[in-house]
Amino acid sequence: MTAAFPSRPNRPGRPGLLGRRGIDSPPPTVAAFILIPFLLEAAVVFSPAIQGILLSFTEWRGIGTPNPVGLQNFRELASDPVFATAFKNTARWLIVFGGLSGALGLSLALFLKVERRGVAVYRSLIFMPVIFSLVVTALVWRVLYAPKGLFNTGLQAVGLDSWSQIWLAEPRTVLYALVVASLWRSAGYIMVLFLAGLKSIDPSLTEAARVDGANRWQLFRHITMPQLRGVNSVVLSVIVIDALRSFDIVYALTKGGPYNSSELLSTYMFKTAFATGRLGYASAIAVVVFLLAVTFIVLYLVRALREDAE
Amino acid sequence: MNIEPTSYPDAEPESNSVVGRRSFVVGAAALGVLASSPAAFAAAKTKAKTAKISGTISLQSNNSDDKSKKAMEAVVAAFNTKKTGMVKLNTVAGELFRSQLTQYLTSSKPPEVLTWLAGKAAQNYADKGLLLDISDVWASPEMKGYSSALRGLSTDSTGKQIFLPIYYYWCGVYYRPSKFAEWGVKPPKTFEEYKTLCKTLQDKGVTPIGMGLSDTPWIASFWFDYLNLRLNGAKFHRDVLSGKKSFDSPEVKSVFNKWQEVLPYMDKDAKGLAFAEAQTKFYKGETGTYVAGSWWALGAPKDVGDDVDFFQFPIIDPKVPVAEEAPADGFFASSKGSNSAVTKAFLRYMATPAAQELYLTTGGNSSIPASPGAKAAPTPANLKGKAMLEAAADLTQFFNRDGGDELQPTADTALLKFMDKPGDVDKILTEWQAAAVNARKA
Repeated sequence: MTAAFPSRPNRPGRPGLLGRRGIDSPPPTVAAFILIPFLLEAAVVFSPAIQGILLSFTEWRGIGTPNPVGLQNFRELASDPVFATAFKNTARWLIVFGGLSGALGLSLALFLKVERRGVAVYRSLIFMPVIFSLVVTALVWRVLYAPKGLFNTGLQAVGLDSWSQIWLAEPRTVLYALVVASLWRSAGYIMVLFLAGLKSIDPSLTEAARVDGANRWQLFRHITMPQLRGVNSVVLSVIVIDALRSFDIVYALTKGGPYNSSELLSTYMFKTAFATGRLGYASAIAVVVFLLAVTFIVLYLVRALREDAE
Repeated sequence: MNIEPTSYPDAEPESNSVVGRRSFVVGAAALGVLASSPAAFAAAKTKAKTAKISGTISLQSNNSDDKSKKAMEAVVAAFNTKKTGMVKLNTVAGELFRSQLTQYLTSSKPPEVLTWLAGKAAQNYADKGLLLDISDVWASPEMKGYSSALRGLSTDSTGKQIFLPIYYYWCGVYYRPSKFAEWGVKPPKTFEEYKTLCKTLQDKGVTPIGMGLSDTPWIASFWFDYLNLRLNGAKFHRDVLSGKKSFDSPEVKSVFNKWQEVLPYMDKDAKGLAFAEAQTKFYKGETGTYVAGSWWALGAPKDVGDDVDFFQFPIIDPKVPVAEEAPADGFFASSKGSNSAVTKAFLRYMATPAAQELYLTTGGNSSIPASPGAKAAPTPANLKGKAMLEAAADLTQFFNRDGGDELQPTADTALLKFMDKPGDVDKILTEWQAAAVNARKA
């Protein structure tokens, strides 16, 4: 990096610190370009994040000074039934939502990768939900899921009355109903990521495999997938982060209800912080979410690096 | 009027109304007009004879729906013409206000006056030392004759007054008289009669009891409150909410046994319906009755007009003294406000009959003014509601106003679970008690 910026002669009267250090130090402009964003980032991202972590070891209601309580919040989390539900739901969400959006996105991308007439229209249509605000999306789904909404009337029309239910208020169905609503949005987004990846595959590889007599599955398994590895790690990060921060659609549709059965860590954290006003305890939940995200991503990176090494 | 719940889906009877954040300032002329007239409030006994009341205070209001916003603007404008200090109104959407109230009160420069609720909801802040002692406002001539019930709701645990009620309202079982005539039924007096009525309506294909819980689960607490008041009385109700009695006691169990008798008449879709959807169902005549506060009638569509009335929640045990829910709303002041003279001048103005009448008339007239000298608009509903409350042996507020905001989610969970699985009532009550103990600790 620095090699690209040969040192300049010191101007008389301006014996800059950086200038004197010669060839290895970047010129002041470059240093400023690095330092200013870093300081900004430190001020508005790192410091609140560290503060959040510190808060998780305190009892604080937003009034007065935080009262340090050590690991008390985390011990309380361990025996909090709502936290247990939220944790399980988040894990379920991560697997079901993550798995399905990856699978759906990839299938759609494979399906729509070939340039044909009109294919752009389909791509745009599938991508469209991404541009809607999730709160607006939630309103649409609320209408579909209503007791006399499209789903239930549809089921009745085909004689499946007994299947109809109050999708968003039935503890057994609510989480999956919410997953479907958020998939509607995320599938299009993941599809675009995969499409970009598929475009970058060298056509000659596919060509060569075809000449060697590979069938479709073999093409996919041994040519496409390995070439997509770079995209996969991006998709995985996006999915994990998306799943863990899923909040808006759940909050807009059920607020975690009925009786916490669709509670996610994110919604529980929000409620604890802003409805109950226990900011220390809410920070402890945030720390758990953060650790979850980091664990998933580190696990994947370790695996990816190991594969690269082999 | 300011009863926030009016017809807003997220509105809890205590505070929330939805509408985008709007803030505005009334009295732009405030600057410079600082000279004050000693006229009405010169009586302020603690002031030296030269002291003039002047300066500007801010009023943070959660009355963000159209009517109550206008009502608040009207009283602030009227106060500002008196030249005893200026009030700058800042209206914040109810939901936001609620989540930020603690922050307002604890900030280094808090608003001097804030809208809020009587009872535990105010007392909790007073116990943290955040509220201004306004006992001298209560001792002023403007507040002569205020009921001792309202005084009690405005008093903190050390005996100081920290809240000024502006109005209160009643709750009851709402119905549409024209529909009742069509179905050939009459408002019931006793719970047995109510059950018969429900049976009749159900046979006619009408859902007897409407409810919308998907965005406003607290609506179910009306049923808990009233059944508990009718079966066990107001004292027990307060004791169980304050933690002196337990939610898994046999008395509370009896509430749920009674509830089971009417559960089959309640809308099966209730948990999937939003507040507004349930309201639409009621006004279309798909549901027969609805337990709510006086704000329910404000949600009537134009074509329904006056065709909405209420009856007292039916009597279950004639031996239990009749208690009613009568939530009161008003103001409290921050203990760290910059100008207590103007703050108190404003509160004293708001305690006058003229201010409360102006407020209620501008706001839609569905509540009763707190001042004994003020007249409620003589609508049939107001007269009936007032008479019902005056005849009551005891008054309570509403679940979260009596028990504290932190207790409401525990009730929502327990009541919704019960409506889903009435057979699990014992387990639900044990869990409720444990959750309530935790919530009070938190």
